[in-house]
Amino acid sequence: METVLSIKGLTKNFGSLRAVNQINLEVKAGQVFGMLGPNGSGKTTTLGMLMGVVNPTGGEFTWFGQKPTHTVRKSIGAVLEHPIFYPYMSGQMNLEVNAMIKGASKESIDWVLDIVGLTDRRNDKYRTYSLGMKQRLAIGSALLNDPQVLILDEPTNGLDPMGIAEIREIIKKIAAANKTIILASHLLDEVQRVCTHFAVLRRGTLVHSGPIGDVGRGEETVEVVAFHDDLNHILMQFAGAMSVQKGNGNFEVKLREGFSAGDLNKFLFEKGIVASHLLTQKKSLEKQFLEILAEAGPENKKLR
Amino acid sequence: MLHLLKVDLKKLTNYRTFWVVCGIYFITLFFVTASGMEVLKYVADRVEDFGGAINIHRIPLYHFPDVWQNLIWVAGFFKFVLGVMVIISVTNEFAYRTLRQNVIDGLSRWEFLQSKILTNAVLAGLSTVLLFLVALITGMIYSPELRFSEVIDDVEFFPAYFLQVFGYLSFALLMSVLINRSGLTIIVLMVARGLELFIIHKVVGVDVLNAFFPLESIEGLITIPFQRYVFMEVLDHPLLSTVLTASFWIFMFNYLAYLKLKKSDI
Repeated sequence: METVLSIKGLTKNFGSLRAVNQINLEVKAGQVFGMLGPNGSGKTTTLGMLMGVVNPTGGEFTWFGQKPTHTVRKSIGAVLEHPIFYPYMSGQMNLEVNAMIKGASKESIDWVLDIVGLTDRRNDKYRTYSLGMKQRLAIGSALLNDPQVLILDEPTNGLDPMGIAEIREIIKKIAAANKTIILASHLLDEVQRVCTHFAVLRRGTLVHSGPIGDVGRGEETVEVVAFHDDLNHILMQFAGAMSVQKGNGNFEVKLREGFSAGDLNKFLFEKGIVASHLLTQKKSLEKQFLEILAEAGPENKKLR
Repeated sequence: MLHLLKVDLKKLTNYRTFWVVCGIYFITLFFVTASGMEVLKYVADRVEDFGGAINIHRIPLYHFPDVWQNLIWVAGFFKFVLGVMVIISVTNEFAYRTLRQNVIDGLSRWEFLQSKILTNAVLAGLSTVLLFLVALITGMIYSPELRFSEVIDDVEFFPAYFLQVFGYLSFALLMSVLINRSGLTIIVLMVARGLELFIIHKVVGVDVLNAFFPLESIEGLITIPFQRYVFMEVLDHPLLSTVLTASFWIFMFNYLAYLKLKKSDI
């Protein structure tokens, strides 16, 4: 697969603070790449360097194997942090300015307004838009030049559930068109739903990167509810049980590798117990994310 | 180049404040420079002694070739308004963070600056054209006789006037890029000339160096013409040395703005 973005040793210092520390990363064509990390972990600074608004202290990166010039940026659509437009102009006029900068055609304005559902409000002043509409206009503007890569930084920040669902639909639509998407977020659920790959940043350092499919593999936990006085004890006897924990009205059994909920069900049945609730919990990205952060060491560790 | 100018003009022409401020500037510039003679006549009519003591029709304020330098010197006072417009236009880009988005969208920082410099040139050009027309028409109305050699005498003040306005706007642009905040930048623009005069006369105090100060050299492109009516010698053409000094500073203003933009995280 073609490499879209290649980052080598990218570093940014703000005074004595190292905001981004020696990041190495590759993004291939067609990936929906999630960048995770707590607030202040360097996601936006990294994206800012990739888009030419923050000058790197060290390291380098290439887009499509080329040196990152402003011409290359025209073929990348990006929304960093929050939508930025001229408040005194209409949505249409704002897109016209951006289309001029990107060298996009006037027809593409109609097209993106349609995709983000703002055709009706195109002639209203930008400052009258709701937050959700501003976010959508920003995504629309990023799509103007029919870019090969789309960078979205917290695109659902501050939106209501409906707005979040709308943005998610737009992202899925774009991903289906075989575009590469880089999505920075701290909403893990969000990333797990739409991304194919993810990376985790912590205090400016890359602590993990890999495909999303890996998440959920490995040990499983099964929630069990059954009417028996000594269920805890019986569950402990199950050969596949690594540990048993009493949960909220149920028991959580952590399974050894090679065992499944079916084995547990069979075991209980043989003991004459009928389970009224049996649920396999896949490991969520959230859980894995917290584990990765915990492995990376305590939060107050000095990086330099 | 033209493309960059179009981008900036698109931002401005959709901005009401731009029309209001530029409207104020060009209308005031027009009326003040065009109405001088009529105002003098009016005053002479109303104030009894005024008309008798000096016959206003014998002061060749609006006669060729005096009219060129006279009007241009007066017009120099109004460029502050245009400077404020430039400050608003540039600091807005920082306040709205649209400079950041412009760069993300694929404008280089130098291209962004170019678009602002080109707008400055257009504004200076429009001022020059307007003033030329006003001076030409009023000169034709009030001059007792038109002689071609007199009409074209002293027109070299127009390129100098263009340079003066463009230089002043370049200074406003640099201050905006350095300070980023509109209110503070406008205050700096207001006091800068006074501060420079203070430094020239009270701190440095070496007369031969005066002409080399940035704002002094820009102001010095057009010298005060009115002493000639009390029989004093006036400089009736811009000095080459002043033009060179001013050009140097204008280059520096824009170059420093470029360096600042290039270096900073936006």
